[in-house]
Amino acid sequence: MPDITNPFWIRPELCLTAFACAALLVDLLFRESVLVGAFSLMGLLATGYFLLQQYGQTPPPGHVLGCVAVDRFATLFKLFAVGSLIFVVLFTLLGKRTRREGFSEFYFILLCAGLGAFFLASTYHLLMMFLGLELLSISSYVLTGYYKGNRRSGEAALKYVIFGAVASGVMLYGFTLIYGLTGSLDLLEISEKQLLRAQFEAGPSGYVPISIAVAMCFAGFAYKISIAPFHFWTPDVYEGAPTPVTTFLAVASKGSGFAAMLRFLSAGFLVDPNLPGNEAMMGYGVKIGHLVALLAAVTMTLGNLAALQQTNLKRMLAYSSIAHAGYILMGVATMNDEGFKSVLFYLVAYYFMNLGAFGAVIYFANTTSGEEIDDLRGLGWRAPVVGVTFIIFLVALVGLPPTSGFVGKYNLFVAAIRNGYQWLAVVAGLNTAISLFYYFRIAKAMYLRDPDEGRFKTVTPSPMLAGLLVLLAFGTLWFGIGPGVAQLQDYAAVSQTLTTR
Amino acid sequence: MNVASNLLSWITFFPLVGILAIMCLPSAQKQLIRLVAIVASAVPLGLSLYMWFWGFDGASERMQLIERAPWIQAGNFVVQYFVGVDGLSMPLVALTCLLLFIGVFASWNIERGLKGYFALLLLLEIGINGTFVSLDMFLFYVFWEIMLLPMYFLIGIWGGPRREYAAIKFFLYTLAGSVLMLVAIVAIYIITGRFNIQSYLDVNGNNVAGLLELARTKNINPQVLTANGMLLGLPFQDWIFWFFFIAFAIKVPVFPFHTWLPDAHVEAPTPISVILAGILLKLGGYGMLRIGFPIAPESFMKYRDFLAVLGTINIVYGAYVAMGQTDFKKLVAYSSVSHMGYVLLGAASMTDMGLKGATLQMFNHGTSSAMLFLIVGVLYDRAHHRDLNGFGGLMTQMPRYGGWTTLGFFAALGLPGLAGFWSEAMTLLGSFGPYPTLTIISGLGVLMTAAFLLWTIQRVFLGPLNPKYAKLPDISAREIFCQAPFAALCIVFGVAPAMLINILAPAVKSYLAMFPGLH
Repeated sequence: MPDITNPFWIRPELCLTAFACAALLVDLLFRESVLVGAFSLMGLLATGYFLLQQYGQTPPPGHVLGCVAVDRFATLFKLFAVGSLIFVVLFTLLGKRTRREGFSEFYFILLCAGLGAFFLASTYHLLMMFLGLELLSISSYVLTGYYKGNRRSGEAALKYVIFGAVASGVMLYGFTLIYGLTGSLDLLEISEKQLLRAQFEAGPSGYVPISIAVAMCFAGFAYKISIAPFHFWTPDVYEGAPTPVTTFLAVASKGSGFAAMLRFLSAGFLVDPNLPGNEAMMGYGVKIGHLVALLAAVTMTLGNLAALQQTNLKRMLAYSSIAHAGYILMGVATMNDEGFKSVLFYLVAYYFMNLGAFGAVIYFANTTSGEEIDDLRGLGWRAPVVGVTFIIFLVALVGLPPTSGFVGKYNLFVAAIRNGYQWLAVVAGLNTAISLFYYFRIAKAMYLRDPDEGRFKTVTPSPMLAGLLVLLAFGTLWFGIGPGVAQLQDYAAVSQTLTTR
Repeated sequence: MNVASNLLSWITFFPLVGILAIMCLPSAQKQLIRLVAIVASAVPLGLSLYMWFWGFDGASERMQLIERAPWIQAGNFVVQYFVGVDGLSMPLVALTCLLLFIGVFASWNIERGLKGYFALLLLLEIGINGTFVSLDMFLFYVFWEIMLLPMYFLIGIWGGPRREYAAIKFFLYTLAGSVLMLVAIVAIYIITGRFNIQSYLDVNGNNVAGLLELARTKNINPQVLTANGMLLGLPFQDWIFWFFFIAFAIKVPVFPFHTWLPDAHVEAPTPISVILAGILLKLGGYGMLRIGFPIAPESFMKYRDFLAVLGTINIVYGAYVAMGQTDFKKLVAYSSVSHMGYVLLGAASMTDMGLKGATLQMFNHGTSSAMLFLIVGVLYDRAHHRDLNGFGGLMTQMPRYGGWTTLGFFAALGLPGLAGFWSEAMTLLGSFGPYPTLTIISGLGVLMTAAFLLWTIQRVFLGPLNPKYAKLPDISAREIFCQAPFAALCIVFGVAPAMLINILAPAVKSYLAMFPGLH
């Protein structure tokens, strides 16, 4: 039995909860949003510190407190969430619009969303998974609608609520079916005791309920990480939400969604001849892989083609994030350790380039008060440092060397091609070429166009934000050509906690 | 950090020093920025000349000046920093350094965003030289892609009216090809577990076979990836071949992938056109000869007839379309399409003579096309248009310019005594054996090239002087300085082609040896 009394393993969660509640108090006492922001930042840093402590330790086997796994996989994704939350808080503090509107309870909700992401990423228990998803989602709905009195923000929140409610309802139904089939909600127990085995051995009549259950669960994951056909909410929500919230949705929320999906798949349907399990189950895993590959191809193509049409920066980045979900699914489709590893690898790379891109959007929006691509006209010349970092992020998003986006995509290609998805790699390659066109519309606006006469003579300087962007750009390059690539490989090896048991 | 023992690294990465220095200078210091750019491009030129005359053994078939060090060694990355040159790449490295050095001088008139311009130009030099010297496919790919970004901005920011369209078209075409190349590289990596093109001895003295050696000895076994070596009805090797071929063919550019080239050339500023025609197109031909063909020797032998046809189409169609142009720069651009066809035809011929011609043509077209674009730039700077029918009689007004133009044109149309003659003649001689019909048709291209170039001279320089241009100043000393090195190379290698052929010959010999069962 794991040591329940040792609070070491739930310190990050406790810390985050304490700071979230305290943030409310700070708000009540001082009525100063910057202070609340700074306080939350402290909380996140403390949480991050505890997580780093955990990351170095060998985790106890199984679950702590019954429902929460504290393996390294979970710790990595929690670090991912905290790392992106730190930037989200900083972006909120440094963004002109978010500062003006006085965001204070905002931070409380943001930390709650973070907590949801923590639980979503760290459980094998379906009920806990659902709770984590809901905590994350409900917080996200509120955050999305945080521009009070702004119609777009309100509309986005409403759409998000409706879509989210349907998707999580469907997912919950899928969970109940799994419970009905196996009598357990614990994925680990289901996989270890091979509770689905009887169903598979029953032949086609057993396959149908499993397929329905899996498809329904998938709907929930697909909604969270915006995979076609559950991506419709993404552009509206990304556009309407405050930009730091969009950043959160694109990075932290998506990351935990992937974590939950990988856990779900790895517990039941992994394709690995070294693992115990019968052939029927493995065959079923291969079939899921085919389905995922199909979804990957559709998602990336759809995302990229739709992005071509966009004139709004955040809307475009929304479709870009759909496309990237498609790329990442390439790794999932393999249904084995190599693929999952490449997913983790890509997510870390994705972290830097997406945070950077959204940060650059906020930086320029501080001057232009707009988020249209056209607003950036000629601004690259006005803010050379931020302009160049934005180009670096775009190059990474396209997936060109020497950036982390390239090594990430390369790894996904290796996983896909080695596991029989050569066609998918070709599709992804051609998609890369398509994506260049719209990403570089930003570069075109920034550098190839002349600035409007009289408009934006200067860009409001924000040295702090520029510093953050330089840091992220450095990360993008470090994990692209530097020794960071080897480090990234180490982080990604954490996938073994899922795939070897 | 010894220069002589790390010669290629110094040549490749020295411009980085210039980039950093330029970044630190205030943008008001225009002369200083230009000076730094000159120094940063002169040093690699000097080092490459040292390499040509002293550092490189022209008689040897081996890879030389090799440097090898682990770069990324983790998981799926067994990437080395592995560089070296042979007779095929060494002259092209030197040509790159010369073109970039001249490119800096040809950019003297550029006033806007000078810092960015020269920084990008130097970054471009790193990308091109890095591609030529890479002996590791991953490294090759990284440099290959690094090249695209500066080119996009150089065309897109400092180009002509339709620059945005031309820049993104160039970028999209090249990227579409190179992602296919990436898929092929990954597939080969999965089969063989390595990226090194060239064999080398590891620390224990064991031979680590390079990909080309594996390809020659049929040790690239696609069974790892496919059940029977077939994929969708085609042998696996054919897929590899076509993916590489398309990537490089777009760069050359081979018909029907050539449409980006006229747009890019017309919109690019003069120095960028010079670099584009002079060296960037050669990367396509070089890529085919270094990797694309020998990595899939059987597929190449199977499809080479088709490639020869494509080469012939390039030669004839390029010349034919050039004849119809009224825009001076577009005419020169299509003449490049025509001239690069010889490279493909010569490579497809697989004869010693044909390959020598093809590799020679890569170098000679680099010098002659650079001259042609510089010539166009001189006229455009003065008249601000390039309509061939809008001039006339300029010979009386600008006699020195007329002389340089005539020299450049003669070099391009392959007049005996100038360099272009040898490469075209050798290509046609070499390809006559295997492809007599195609060679005869290609001969038509030579004729048409002569026709449109002479016709251009007639339209621009002869006849009555257009009174609008009665006051055009003649070619300036700086412009002559830019032309002179290329003119000198055209004459030197026209009179004494053996100087270059002797360097290429060993490389051609070892290249032919990579195709088993040929002789």
